[in-house]
Amino acid sequence: MRDITVFRARKFITMDPVRPAATHVAVRDGRILAVGGDEIWQGLGAARADDRYADAVLMPGLVEAHSHLMEGALWKFVYAGYYDRRDPEGRLWTGLKSVDGIVERLAEMERTLADPDAPLLAWGFDPVYFGEQRMTVRELDAVSERRPIVLLHASFHLMNVNSAMLRKAGITRQTDIEGIARHADGEPNGELQGFAAMFPVNRAIGNVMRTVGVTEEGVWRFARVAQRTGVTTATDLVNNLAEPGVRLLEDVTSREDYPLRIVPIYRGPQALATIEQDLGLAALAAARSTDKLRFGAMKLTLDGSITGYTARLRWPGYHNGKPNGIWIMSPTEVHGVVARIHGAGVQLHIHTNGDEATGLALDAIEAALEKHPRPDHRHTLHHCQTADAAQFRRMARLGVCANLFVNHIYYWGDVHYAQTLGPSRANRMNACGTARLHGVPLAIHSDAPVTPIGPLFTAWCAAVRRTAGGRVLGEGERITVADALHAVTLGAAYTLAMDGEIGSIEVGKRADFCVLADDPLAVPVEDLKDVPVLGTMLGGRAFDAAQ
Amino acid sequence: MNVSPIPLTVIGGFLGAGKSTLVNRLLAQAGDSRVTVLVNDFGAINIDAALIESRDGETISLANGCVCCSIGDDLVDALIRAMERQPAPDRIVIEASGVADPWRIAQVGLSDPALRLDSVVVLADAETVRAHAADRYLADTIRGQLRAGDYLILNKADLVTAESLAATRGWLAATCPDTPIFIASDADVPFVFLADAGLSAWPAGAMHACGCPAGRPCRHEQAHGELFESWSIELAGRFRADALRAWLRALPAGVLRTKGLVATDEWPWAVMHGVGRRGTLACAAPPISARSAIVAIGLRGQLPIAELDAFFRGARLAD
Repeated sequence: MRDITVFRARKFITMDPVRPAATHVAVRDGRILAVGGDEIWQGLGAARADDRYADAVLMPGLVEAHSHLMEGALWKFVYAGYYDRRDPEGRLWTGLKSVDGIVERLAEMERTLADPDAPLLAWGFDPVYFGEQRMTVRELDAVSERRPIVLLHASFHLMNVNSAMLRKAGITRQTDIEGIARHADGEPNGELQGFAAMFPVNRAIGNVMRTVGVTEEGVWRFARVAQRTGVTTATDLVNNLAEPGVRLLEDVTSREDYPLRIVPIYRGPQALATIEQDLGLAALAAARSTDKLRFGAMKLTLDGSITGYTARLRWPGYHNGKPNGIWIMSPTEVHGVVARIHGAGVQLHIHTNGDEATGLALDAIEAALEKHPRPDHRHTLHHCQTADAAQFRRMARLGVCANLFVNHIYYWGDVHYAQTLGPSRANRMNACGTARLHGVPLAIHSDAPVTPIGPLFTAWCAAVRRTAGGRVLGEGERITVADALHAVTLGAAYTLAMDGEIGSIEVGKRADFCVLADDPLAVPVEDLKDVPVLGTMLGGRAFDAAQ
Repeated sequence: MNVSPIPLTVIGGFLGAGKSTLVNRLLAQAGDSRVTVLVNDFGAINIDAALIESRDGETISLANGCVCCSIGDDLVDALIRAMERQPAPDRIVIEASGVADPWRIAQVGLSDPALRLDSVVVLADAETVRAHAADRYLADTIRGQLRAGDYLILNKADLVTAESLAATRGWLAATCPDTPIFIASDADVPFVFLADAGLSAWPAGAMHACGCPAGRPCRHEQAHGELFESWSIELAGRFRADALRAWLRALPAGVLRTKGLVATDEWPWAVMHGVGRRGTLACAAPPISARSAIVAIGLRGQLPIAELDAFFRGARLAD
């Protein structure tokens, strides 16, 4: 006789529309055996009652369908972001609201480093919040004149360094390239922008901020950051499937005390020339999938980001007149690559920030579907921040899912309103309401580490649509809390083609729960993001958030 | 210890323009120099199996000392690994992706003191470049790439009619004024566009007219022997560094490459590199000879010899 445990809770929010709430859930072999009231005891035989959640509200384990493993590893470096953020160990790093505050934190961390020559590395800086205040070599030299210091921006495409780092990297006033910002007198001011300007620094520090993701410690810390916010399944939304990394993930996720299911999405081909190899590699990985590690899908990246002005926009382009963005993958290859991957039966996750890129992705999917009709492909457009209603109608018609980057509304909504998109398009960005209206399967995401992982916060963004500056962007695009919670559970699971096993509390599914102190459907919508997460359960095994 | 910087060449151009073919030629014909090429994917590079010495995941080593590395998903990482190889490469060549702006990549040769940007060579497909430049998705990408080139190679000339080739050449010249254009088929591009190996052989005469080192047969001699000519001069006295810099910022039309080891009023000795439309001046170790030496290469009949002569004679200090 195998063990059966009956969990009783104040409430289970099931995400099953025909039985939206329950008080009892029976679990056997890590899966849900029964859902209901106390009638579920009938005929169960010998079962153990577990009342530890008697006062709590349980939801399906939350699903973060667009994040990166790097989130865990970045915490090796000093957090210097504007917003409060919790590290894997649960320590709250308060957001730094002034340049002085950043200097103070860096100085404090600097004193803890034993080796006087080891570089001090920090991340999360975003100059957009500091108005007239400037971060330059002068400020960072105040932290240390001797120790090299690197302050990576939240976008990961810029950095600020101090004089010691400039010297170490060999960047001087004679270094004549565009990406080196300067003081009025022509001396580099320490801000370095883009690949070429940042390269000598990255080389000097061993490129650690990029390669840090795939370590045992990084994979563990990723799970801790995610688990703390109620997440039980998270994606690594671009993984190169290099053998050491795959083996590491196999090893770590197979541990019973590892509290997360990971879905690595393979960095797909850039061109048709190599597609057969790529499909082969993805298929080999797919065969190694387990219940906690799910390979198989592929990612294509079509364009860049809106805040970096690298997203491909249609008319009328960027609000402030900047030139259109860049293609990461050639538009001429998109049709062929999509057709081949689609034809091979593989699911596609396609990064399209700008609406021109979204349109191209939809053209390619439509053409592929005409050639190879394929029901239930679950191809998903990621970010998809500037799609209009017609594009959402096309998605619905083609069976394409949308995973929208609603955290952008809070973090950069004011920038989009004033600079990148202007009021009209900022109001319709990340159009959850339009997606729901047209029946597009919907997920929402954090893109951690770009913004912090935390599906309840993400759901709050979708329900409230308020910027950090307090402006509501497009009230009509708000969705209900119930719909927002669906988008971070069953909706997200659907985009990962895992809705048959996770995302709702139904018989036969995995016993993955998010344990909350309060009912997110009952609290004022404003408090949704602050509902305390007490812990998670993964396959019937409990993990406290405090762990 | 001050190690001399590694020359960097970036090969750009849209998909199908012939970048991989050019990389293949380069790997097979690099001769005595150890070239490390960073490519987007091995799949597109068709290296003769007989040349391959060993293969290890991201890297293919050739018997002639050249190495071909896959960029994978991080150019930063790939470039660091290439620079750290032992023995150090004599030259690094980056094959930009088909939609990348090669200039964005090439600037790393100006920002990192361990590298020296040699040239940005951009290929254009004679069959398709004009259509792509008019495409609603591609127009800005294609024009950006072409304008990034120190040299433009109008490739696949054999696949179009003479009229079409002339029209495309005219269009290229109008799109990218002052950029030298070389017409090629099968990406058969003289070495001088990719590297200054020949120019570094002193005295200046120690090379074929196409830029290949002297002392062994050059395969271009037959095909392109009539295409190039060179000019060189040795002069006593010191040059005005400012005058050299100003000249290097706007190289006269007809000069494909120029290189010099010159005595100046700023540094005792400086090395001068000019490529296509642009050049640099950097501090250098003193040569054995006490005289400054300058060499330039151009297409036959287009090298402005009188102008070169007059400029360098006049750019010295009065002392």
